[in-house]
Amino acid sequence: MTLFNLGAREAGQYAEPVTLADLAEQGEACSVVLESGDDVAALKPYLNRLELVVLRFPIFRDGRGFTQARELREYLRYSGEIRVEGHVLPDQADFLKRCGVESVVLPEGSDVGRWERQLKRYSVSFQRSVLPEKALDVGTRVAR
Amino acid sequence: MKRAVRVGAGEGLVITANRLLDGAIVWLSADHTWQTAIQRAEVLVPEAVVERIEGVQSRAQADGVVGIYEIAVRPEVGGPVPVTMRERIRAFGPTVHPQFAYEQQEGAGA
Amino acid sequence: MTTAIGQYQYDQVDRDFLAARIEEFSEQVARRLDGSLTEDEFKPLRLMNGLYLQLHAYMLRVAVPYGTLNAAQVRAFADVARRYDRGYGHFTTRQNIQFNWIRLEDTPDILRLLADVDMHALQTSGNCIRNVTSDEFAGAAADELVDPRVHAEILRQWSTLHPEFTFLPRKFKIAISGSPNDRVAARFHDIGVIARPGDDGRVVFQIFVGGGLGRTPIVGQELYDSVPEERLLATLEAIIRVYNAHGRRDNIYKARIKILVQALGIAAYREEVEAELAQMDIARYRLSPEMVASIEARFAAPDLQVPAGAADILAEQRARDWVFDRWVRSNTHAHRSEGHIIAVVSLKTPGEIPGDVTADQLDRLAGLSERFAYGELRTTHLQNVVFGHVRQDQLYDLWRGLVEVGLGAPNVGLIGDIVACPGLDYCALANARSIPIAQKLGARFADMTLQEQIGALQINISGCINACGHHHAGHIGLLGVDKRGEEFFQMTLGGRADDQAAVGKILGPALPEDDTVDAIARIVDRYLQERSGKESFLETLKRVGEAPFKEAAYDTV
Repeated sequence: MTLFNLGAREAGQYAEPVTLADLAEQGEACSVVLESGDDVAALKPYLNRLELVVLRFPIFRDGRGFTQARELREYLRYSGEIRVEGHVLPDQADFLKRCGVESVVLPEGSDVGRWERQLKRYSVSFQRSVLPEKALDVGTRVAR
Repeated sequence: MKRAVRVGAGEGLVITANRLLDGAIVWLSADHTWQTAIQRAEVLVPEAVVERIEGVQSRAQADGVVGIYEIAVRPEVGGPVPVTMRERIRAFGPTVHPQFAYEQQEGAGA
Repeated sequence: MTTAIGQYQYDQVDRDFLAARIEEFSEQVARRLDGSLTEDEFKPLRLMNGLYLQLHAYMLRVAVPYGTLNAAQVRAFADVARRYDRGYGHFTTRQNIQFNWIRLEDTPDILRLLADVDMHALQTSGNCIRNVTSDEFAGAAADELVDPRVHAEILRQWSTLHPEFTFLPRKFKIAISGSPNDRVAARFHDIGVIARPGDDGRVVFQIFVGGGLGRTPIVGQELYDSVPEERLLATLEAIIRVYNAHGRRDNIYKARIKILVQALGIAAYREEVEAELAQMDIARYRLSPEMVASIEARFAAPDLQVPAGAADILAEQRARDWVFDRWVRSNTHAHRSEGHIIAVVSLKTPGEIPGDVTADQLDRLAGLSERFAYGELRTTHLQNVVFGHVRQDQLYDLWRGLVEVGLGAPNVGLIGDIVACPGLDYCALANARSIPIAQKLGARFADMTLQEQIGALQINISGCINACGHHHAGHIGLLGVDKRGEEFFQMTLGGRADDQAAVGKILGPALPEDDTVDAIARIVDRYLQERSGKESFLETLKRVGEAPFKEAAYDTV
């Protein structure tokens, strides 16, 4: 498995993530894996000890993970690592990053170059994101 | 895309797809190549279809075709004629633009 | 001639973005061809770029943001039609244009050609926020309260490559209008927005949610009566975030937001939205007056100078030429500015394909717009084209220019103004052909005197339950169904898409094509017998109920 960093922060090494259900019982667990149907609000009681949240994409078309990531950053002010695993495409790299995801578990044989290229593709975006992006001008566009 | 195919008395099946590069409709011929004219399609009995589709499915990327499936046809003198309106339109062209109709005689290869 | 018109003018940032987006798509095509993307992976990616694989070829749907075009853009469509299609373009029921005979390998070149005139095919398909539609009379209609195009452009930009909402459960359509007379079918959209001036002079928005046609036609419900402009984006984000998290993904037929709104109820949906808004960093989503002004500054208004006596000249020409006069009666709309008029070009010439235009006609439309309409055109969700600002003393010359290329049909809003999807002749999803029955109905009611006598009567035809022909919203709706490989049509009566939006009711069993045409002729005859005074078809239907029409429809079958 390859870990790809979407942003500046290096992906960390953590113990095997536990499921949301096991998080309450395993008081020492600092990493959790969420399925796409899980509600991130359930992580509220554990935010102090969480260092890694893994969002699992069952298929790249299931976009719930984007909302989960944004809610983690925006609603819960979670500042630890958000990692994505499962079926994702390099075409989604920038979307993931702008929703607050920091690392991606790439399947064997992935072309890392495609992921890197996708992150550099655009010099403008048309809406604010959870990243500290600067407004391009007085309008709604942001510089990348 | 895949619809249940009913095969009535006197009817057979042919295998069809779209070409990846231009979307053109193609038909599987007896020599296992994809042809643009339905007249070149091989008419199969239902029992032969599953295996044949599995075979061409595994080569779809190399052959440059997408959306492989089978349709019911009536064998007629000029060649197989699809049973449903949808497939007749695929075989012979849109009904609303006569100038866009596909050639009814032996067509060129894919 | 004024060059700047009622659409957002691109700058270099916008152009560089489009170029990068085309490069991305071009790489995706290459990856599909070399096998590194499977068809299942490529399909959603190409759809987000407006590219479908239809029955005979690829189809490219090009976005016409809020239905506004300039002459150069229309000429580019003609160019695409000639070089890459078979000489035609087809205007859709969402104000876009599509080309039916496209090759995958040509698509990047076509997109570059379109980008040269600031056009794209972004988000005209796929499970993302689709091209935002608006009022075809925006900035021109006498009844307008707010010009909706500035906010439509803001929504276009905001929804472009939205990081969170590009892989929604299903497609998501937004329409915005600034007139109390809803011309955008706001209540049949996932989100419908009606703008009006608020008490403090800033715009406020009435927001409908959960409307839609398709398999489960539902009239949208009001979520908010007056959302302040500053909170427009925050509110839309909250609505769609609830949908993205909770919309069904297990069943494609139950995946639209309307199903979620129905399941929760509008009050509970509102609570969910409020819960999101309460947690959101509202400042980040704030749409400030300065932001709006900066977008508005990229629009230009036409310089509506008109010589004295323009109205008299028009009146004189109408009196002299009764054919022109008839066209003016059906195909024009009141303009807010004295001496001007709005002209609607019918793309429903009897016997032709609804919404189809040839490359030559496109060129002519472009030329006429430059001579008579400040270089601007609009598309309508009823598959027609509009010249927004025409001097009344020049309307006659405009009309003659249209007639020369077969675009003078005087039937806008009448029974001949039929809306139809491409149907089984082109569409991979269709169950029945929509075009031939539209052509037969067009021929059956070709007599213009009869059409005028019948008055306002909208026929909508869809070739399958996905309802691209908006059949549920037609006064008479036709839905094509497949009965063992043969085409049948189910009739609905009483649908409408305006501020009294309603879903048409199924009249009875589906009939074969020719029987359907006959049945509609009998329904219309019955209406002419039953009508009282100047009642419209809908008014008569409301008064007498569907029974007489049902009786007429199934009379001899």
